[in-house]
Amino acid sequence: MTATDVLAELQQRCQQAILDGDPLPGLFVGEGAGIAGGFDIYLNAYRARLTAALRDNYPVLLRAIGDDAFAALAGAYINSHPSSFRSIRWFGDSLAGFLAASPEHLPHPSLVDLARMDWATRSAFDAADAELLAAADLATLQPEDWARRCFRTLPSLRVLPLGWQIEPIWKALDADPLASSDEPQYLQHVLLVWRPRLECRWRSAAPLEAGVLEALSQGASFAECCTLIADSGDAEPARTAAGFLQNWIAEGLLARD
Amino acid sequence: MHESIRGFGLGLRSEHYRDFIASPQRADWLEIITENYLVPGGKPLYHLDRIRRDYPMVMHGVSLSVGGSDPLDRAYLQQVRALADRIQPAWVSDHLCWTGTSSVNLHDLLPLPYTEACLQHLVPRVEQVQEILRQPLVLENVSSYVRYRADEMCEWEFIAELVRRSGCELLLDVNNVYVSSVNHGFAAQTFIDAMSPLAVRQIHLAGHADHGDYLVDTHDQPVCDAVWDLYAHAVRRLGQVPTMIERDDDIPPLESLLVELDRARAIAGSAGGDARWAA
Repeated sequence: MTATDVLAELQQRCQQAILDGDPLPGLFVGEGAGIAGGFDIYLNAYRARLTAALRDNYPVLLRAIGDDAFAALAGAYINSHPSSFRSIRWFGDSLAGFLAASPEHLPHPSLVDLARMDWATRSAFDAADAELLAAADLATLQPEDWARRCFRTLPSLRVLPLGWQIEPIWKALDADPLASSDEPQYLQHVLLVWRPRLECRWRSAAPLEAGVLEALSQGASFAECCTLIADSGDAEPARTAAGFLQNWIAEGLLARD
Repeated sequence: MHESIRGFGLGLRSEHYRDFIASPQRADWLEIITENYLVPGGKPLYHLDRIRRDYPMVMHGVSLSVGGSDPLDRAYLQQVRALADRIQPAWVSDHLCWTGTSSVNLHDLLPLPYTEACLQHLVPRVEQVQEILRQPLVLENVSSYVRYRADEMCEWEFIAELVRRSGCELLLDVNNVYVSSVNHGFAAQTFIDAMSPLAVRQIHLAGHADHGDYLVDTHDQPVCDAVWDLYAHAVRRLGQVPTMIERDDDIPPLESLLVELDRARAIAGSAGGDARWAA
C-alpha cells in the first residue's frame, strides 16, 4: 500500500462514520460513551454546518415552514445529498427537486416553488456581472439589420416555470418573517429573476414573453423571435417583439454585446 | 504588485463592508475567506474590489484539503489563482487538514494522522499547490477534538517536519494551539516553541467555546485571557509576526473588534520580540 492508500482508508472510515452519525469508527484514542467532546463534535458540526448553509440559501422557505420542519427536511436532504462542492455556498442546489420528489417534507406542494424562487434569487445574487444594453445602443442599427440582430440576456437571468402563484407569499415573508398570507393558488406561469446591477429583481411573465426571452438567450435573432410570436397567433409580431425589447431594456434584462 | 503586510489585521466579513468603505479604520490589513469570493460576480466581488483599493489583503481558504486522499482539485486551484490574480494578496493560506474524500466535502477542517505515511503524502501535494499558485503555500494548524490511534508523533513535530521537507510556511493559530492543548492535555508553549520563527508568516487569534472538559473553536466570542497570554509567549518566541483576529459568528460592531486588535498591539509591543514583519 502507498502512503496515500493508507491515508485514504483511514479517511474513508472517518468520513463514513460522520455521514452515518456513527460515534465509534474505531480510529481514535478514547472513543465512546462518556467521552465528552471528541468525535461527537465532528458529527454534530457536519449536520449543523450544512443545515446552516441550507438556511442561508432558502431563507423564505425557512420562514414559511419554521425551524423544526426546516430542520427535518434539511436532515433528510443532507442524508441523501452529501456535498461535493468546494464552497458550501452551492450546497442545496437540488433541494427543490428533492422536495418535489418527496412532498411529505412540506405542508403544501406550492412550497416547492417557493424553494425554486429562493434558489433563483440566491443564484442571481452572485451571478456574473454584465454591462446593460441601453436604448441608445440600438439607435445606430440600420432597419435592414434588425432581422438578423441577436440580443444577449443577462448572465443572472433565471426563467422559472412555476405551478403555483407563490410570489405574494414570497414577497410578504421576505419583508416580514411573521407575515401571514393566503394559500397560494394553482397557476401555471413563469417567473423571471435577474440582477441588473447589484440588487436582484423579479416579476412574473406570460408564457409567450418568457418563451421569446428564452429563445433570445439561446441565440435567436429578432426575426426568429417575431416568427415565434406570430406562431402564437399574434397579428403584429414585430410590434409585440419591439414592445418586449423596449421593456427588457428599461428593466435591465439585456446585456451589451 | 501586492503591498507588504505589517502590523495587525482583521478577517473581512460582509457585516463590516459598510464601515470599511465609509471611512479609514485602524486595521493595517485584511484577510478574506477565499471561498466567499469564488463566485462569478455581484455584491461580494464588488465590495471586495472596492475595499481592496484601501487595504492590503491576504487570502485564506477552507477547502483546499491539502491532506485529503483524493487528487488535488485543479479546477478549484485555478479559481483560487484567478482570485489571487485579481486582488494580488500578499500570500495565500489554507489549513493543514483534510475536508473530505471520494468526492465528498464534509465542510469541516478534519485533523490528519501524524504519521510518516501522511508526511509522504503531503509533501508532494504542497509542492503541487505551490507550483499552481506560483507562491509558497501558508498552512494553518487546526483545532482538534480527536487523536488518531495511528499517530506516530505529536502535532508540532509533524508540522515542523512538514515545513522542513516541503518549504511551506505557517499560519500559526494561537487559539487553535490553546484549544487543542486543553483537549489533548499538552503544554501549549511546547507547541509554539517547536515552530521555526522563520516559517511563521502570520498569526491568528480567535475566541472559543469553553465546555468545561473540552474547548470548541467557534470564533463567536472575544479572545480569552489564556490565549492572550499564549500570544505574548508567541511574540517573545517568534518576533513581531503579522497578527489578526478572526470572528465568524455573533459578529459584533467593527469597533469592538478594533478594540480587541488594540489589545493585540499592546501585547505585542510589550512582549518585545524582533521586528520581523513579513514582506
